[in-house]
Amino acid sequence: MTVGSLMNATPVTVPLAETFAGAYRLMTSQRLSSIPVVDTRGVYQGMFDFQDVWELLLPRAALLGMESLTNLAFLSEAVNKLHDKLEQAGSRPIREFLDATAPPVHPDTPIKEVILLFHQYNVSLPVVERGTNRLVGMISPWEVLDALQ
Amino acid sequence: MEPHSVHVAFGASAALVASLVFVAVYALVVSEKLNRAIVALLGAGLMILLGVVTQEAAINGIDFNTIGLLLGMMVLVGITGKSGLFQFVAIWSAKKAGARPPAVLIMLSVITALFSALLDNVTTVLLIVPVTLLIAEELKVQSYPFLVSEVLCSNIGGTSTLIGDPPNIMIGSALDLTFNDFFLNLAPAIAIVLLATLIPMWLVWRKDLVTTEEARRHVMEFNEWEAIRDPRLLKQSLSVLGVVIAGFVAAHSIHIQPATIAMFGAALLLLLDNYRRPAEDQAHNVHAAFAEAEWVTLLFFVGLFVLVHGLEAAGVIRWLAQELLAATGGDFKVTTFAILWGSALLSAFIDNIPFVATMIPLIKSMAPVFGGEHALMPLWWALSLGACLGGNGTLIGASANLVVAGMAERAGQPIRFMAYLKSSFLIMLLSIAISHVYLYFRFL
Repeated sequence: MTVGSLMNATPVTVPLAETFAGAYRLMTSQRLSSIPVVDTRGVYQGMFDFQDVWELLLPRAALLGMESLTNLAFLSEAVNKLHDKLEQAGSRPIREFLDATAPPVHPDTPIKEVILLFHQYNVSLPVVERGTNRLVGMISPWEVLDALQ
Repeated sequence: MEPHSVHVAFGASAALVASLVFVAVYALVVSEKLNRAIVALLGAGLMILLGVVTQEAAINGIDFNTIGLLLGMMVLVGITGKSGLFQFVAIWSAKKAGARPPAVLIMLSVITALFSALLDNVTTVLLIVPVTLLIAEELKVQSYPFLVSEVLCSNIGGTSTLIGDPPNIMIGSALDLTFNDFFLNLAPAIAIVLLATLIPMWLVWRKDLVTTEEARRHVMEFNEWEAIRDPRLLKQSLSVLGVVIAGFVAAHSIHIQPATIAMFGAALLLLLDNYRRPAEDQAHNVHAAFAEAEWVTLLFFVGLFVLVHGLEAAGVIRWLAQELLAATGGDFKVTTFAILWGSALLSAFIDNIPFVATMIPLIKSMAPVFGGEHALMPLWWALSLGACLGGNGTLIGASANLVVAGMAERAGQPIRFMAYLKSSFLIMLLSIAISHVYLYFRFL
């Protein structure tokens, strides 16, 4: 069993020219946890996902890697500040938020490799054509779990 | 010289081989092209393989009191940090300052100096800097002055006690000095240096650190009690830390070395934190506690002790001491000030740990010239003040500086080498000038 037989071949994508606000609207309206971003030729550029939104909303001190603050329970409730952060980021190009953490897989990648990547990264994975890097689909844990039923 | 008959490789002089290995190690450490633990351990291995010292002599040259004290404190502080104590204190102090940025700058700096006196500097800044970045972000002011001030105060505070900075741990261990010896002889100078550092920081930055009432209100609404994640662990940690510090104070009268106190304290806190847990959780917890110790630093120390012992055994240290005495004309005051200023200027650019490791046997060997070991005390205080405070001179002068610079970079507020140098080198020179006057009037 390979990725090509299980993947979603018509995934929702975000064009590289999109803004943060546009991608955010698409993410929330379609209830997607991650969306691949492609250029005008359909070449995969990176992922826009929940992590990008959380990183925008969190204070910098919580994003320092191993030395980060691991407890923010002492902060005051200020939901309007979170709204402000989203609004301020609205016009920024989506390319500033691209996340290349999850490695792309290929249609011929074996499922065991995909399961390993799900375990390591816990996100849906983009499927790209070898050589051209053109996006040909997405594979999420649901597709794999459905196939194993 | 080495008590055993050793055969140096290729029939070369032991002094020459030891010096070449030592200089090569020093150059590689300064270049930062290779991890310093790798370099020091390779150098130590070469000292043995090339026949400068035997393995037995090399092991005898390692100061396990220093290693044990460092390891014990690292484990203690690592566990305590998980309780949320340091975040609590930082938030509490910012609120006590009314969330007014210039006052917060002073409060966080003083807190950093106090913590650094009782814990190691790197740990202190690792725990204080994240919450400082958060407070600066909430106040909508630049974090740069806070971070620079914390770097300076961390190195200053660490100078005042036996356990505050690695050079002091090394000096204390080599001479069997107590916590009280360091505190009583250095803390008065450090109090003045701290004041002389904070006043210019406050004067320079107070006009730039302007915030809004709304931002201040946000910080004042922080609930510091929510920062404490594990109240039980907090009580246990504070109790054990209290006992350990009391142990350091009383170490001389109870005839116990600091390493024993720190390691026993670490073991006690591990026991308190783990005895109710199932075996599997204990294994995980204890593994995590030991993994958080800075093994690179500890093994760097091990390698250095062997290297310096090699130099000593080959007679190089004795020769260097004679040269230093010749340069100062054998004048005690001139020697004291040469050590103070020389240590400060060198420590601003190179790691002060290998420098102090080299200076310890060098100063010890001056005892016959200056009337015995006890007469040398001002030289030790000069070395401590120079090596610890000198680290403030540049961004690469001390480990804490580099750690803060790395965190600032990741937070998108980088501290540039030259910008730091311009402000901090002068402050460092001022602190050494104060130390000069202090040494003169107190000891000479």
